[in-house]
Amino acid sequence: MESVVNWFYPLIQAILNGLLTGALYALIGMGMALIFGVMRIVNFTHGAFLMLGMYVSYVFFLKTGINPYLGFMVSGAILFVIGYAVYMGLLRRIPGQVDFMVILVTLGLALIITDGVQLVFGADYHQINLPLVARNFRLGTQIFVNAPWLLSFVIALVLAVALYLVVTHTMFGRAARAIAQNPYPSPLMGINVNRVQAISFGIGAAAAGVAGALLLPVFYLYPGVGSQFELKSFVMVVLGGMGSIQGAAIAGLVLGVVESLTSLYWGNEWALAVDFVIFILVLSLKPSGIFGSQRA
Amino acid sequence: MKRIHVVISPVIFAIVITWAGCKGGPGAGNTIRIGVMTSLTGSNAAFGQAHKNGYTIALEEINAKGGLLGKKVELDYYDDQSRPDQAVQGVSKLVDQDHVPVLLGAYSSESTRAIVPVVTQKQVPLVMPTAVADNVVETGSPWVFRICAGSGSYATVTLDFLKNNGDPKTLAIVYENTNFGQSNNKSMTTAAQAAGLKLVDSEAYQASSPDYKSLLQRVKSKNPEVIYFASYLLDAGTLMRQAEQVNLNPKYYTSAGTGFAAAEFPTPDKGAGKYAEYTFSVSQWLPAARWKGSSEFDEKYFKLTNTHPAYHGMEAYAALIVAAAAIENAKSAQPQPIRDALKALNLPDTPFGPVKFDARGQNAHPVLVTQVQGGQYKVVWPADAAQTKPIIPTPPWSERK
Repeated sequence: MESVVNWFYPLIQAILNGLLTGALYALIGMGMALIFGVMRIVNFTHGAFLMLGMYVSYVFFLKTGINPYLGFMVSGAILFVIGYAVYMGLLRRIPGQVDFMVILVTLGLALIITDGVQLVFGADYHQINLPLVARNFRLGTQIFVNAPWLLSFVIALVLAVALYLVVTHTMFGRAARAIAQNPYPSPLMGINVNRVQAISFGIGAAAAGVAGALLLPVFYLYPGVGSQFELKSFVMVVLGGMGSIQGAAIAGLVLGVVESLTSLYWGNEWALAVDFVIFILVLSLKPSGIFGSQRA
Repeated sequence: MKRIHVVISPVIFAIVITWAGCKGGPGAGNTIRIGVMTSLTGSNAAFGQAHKNGYTIALEEINAKGGLLGKKVELDYYDDQSRPDQAVQGVSKLVDQDHVPVLLGAYSSESTRAIVPVVTQKQVPLVMPTAVADNVVETGSPWVFRICAGSGSYATVTLDFLKNNGDPKTLAIVYENTNFGQSNNKSMTTAAQAAGLKLVDSEAYQASSPDYKSLLQRVKSKNPEVIYFASYLLDAGTLMRQAEQVNLNPKYYTSAGTGFAAAEFPTPDKGAGKYAEYTFSVSQWLPAARWKGSSEFDEKYFKLTNTHPAYHGMEAYAALIVAAAAIENAKSAQPQPIRDALKALNLPDTPFGPVKFDARGQNAHPVLVTQVQGGQYKVVWPADAAQTKPIIPTPPWSERK
């Protein structure tokens, strides 16, 4: 019995923690994958969108006292509008949508957003204090689950499933998948390519924004906070199969668990390194991603 | 449209040129410009802000007394964005372009270690206010001067405190995987061995992660009596919150200052709030310190910011006071004479205590141990400076309100 307690509970606890963090990663990764799948755009603004989502929820919380577990909807809505506008106003206008130009535009936009937020809110970090953060559920005698992480897990999961259903079961989803397969004949089928791509970009931005809002109660925010998550979302897109949103979602959960187990058995300093070792291995051994080659 | 451009462009050009001219260069007659490197943005911005407040207060005092060598003093800030590569670039800007004769900074040990070779090569003296990693004064450079105590002193004072307060036997170190953390890990590992404490775990971590629960669980499985953290502010908050979530209950939470000693750390708005309670930390200075001018500095700081300072602000203040004294003594605002004056400097009576540099450029600064009690830092060690008794052992999370 004693030995089981010594290795079994920490393992279960670490997997649980990994899944809780991984659900947020999954949401971020799905947004990135949708954008990449439908437009082949490597979106370097993703981290900035996440950060914006955090600030929106933060300001909303300060003004109204409504916590981010409802406020995430505001973040999602505003980020959707921003994403839609960015596509219509900027990305659509890039002649021929040359990859390199797109990268430069999204990178430049990320800098503008980050510096803009810094101009308005300052470089200083902020955090919010919800009484909820102090609530822990106990499963049995040994396993603890922190309430805000559980809540964000549930919300992220519901949204991930919803996003998946939208892509697989709606007219918009069908159009998005058609464009992902081949954008050129789509207009002939009566698909408004620009509109579908703008909506996809908006949804992608909204997913990042919602993830940011859900992170807010357990983390802190400052203008540069998004970059580490952006890096992870690249890993998820590659792991999940270059634009497959369900693949990216699973990759997010896997990444969370892998990081958690690495921390437990090997040391936290290696967690990020392991992420990128997986990334490089997948890129070189199975470039279509470990979860198949299906897109969007 | 075109015509307007023709008119406006030269005007803008002229304005820019004039403005650039006003910023002055080496020959800016009536002022002495001192270079300041700190982290005004990025993850260490809170400490950079504390630096800036300290520098601002010192600058006001110096200029109120008529400046230095009959000239007004100006500070030339460079923000390293909490990144060592930016700090290196900044030294080039401050020294090659702005020709400052002396530099203060940087904030972090990581950035400071990165600029030591640069100032050495450019032959400009560097006064280091806050870098705790001992390797910043171990390069043999004759151009560096550190006013604060280093990671070696942090370890010995912490162990001294433990020895005299319950004498625990096992220790785990949790440190950020950067120069600051590594240096403290190294110092504590060596010192603990010498003191007969068994090191049961040593954990490096990646800064600014949202999740340290697995790391803390790993520490918990080793069951140490003492945990020694080397962390910046943001991670200090995350670590203590998640320590509660995994129900980690060592007898002592101790730390190498920094995040655990920041003015924001025990506050709920910007730090760990109630999760900071009972944590021990080394400290370089407190508003209640016995040195003359400490409480005056505290008052001025409070007037400026509406918060009380931690030692980081004071160290910046002291760095500028020290550089100013060196310029006065050198009767020159040139790098070499200032360096020589720093070497010979003997200030027995600053608000940060006596300042005098040894051959390495290190000031022998005493270290205190504090504990957060009721949301306040209280000095608990050494005995002759203690404000109150330490609360030991740390109550388990389940028994806290």
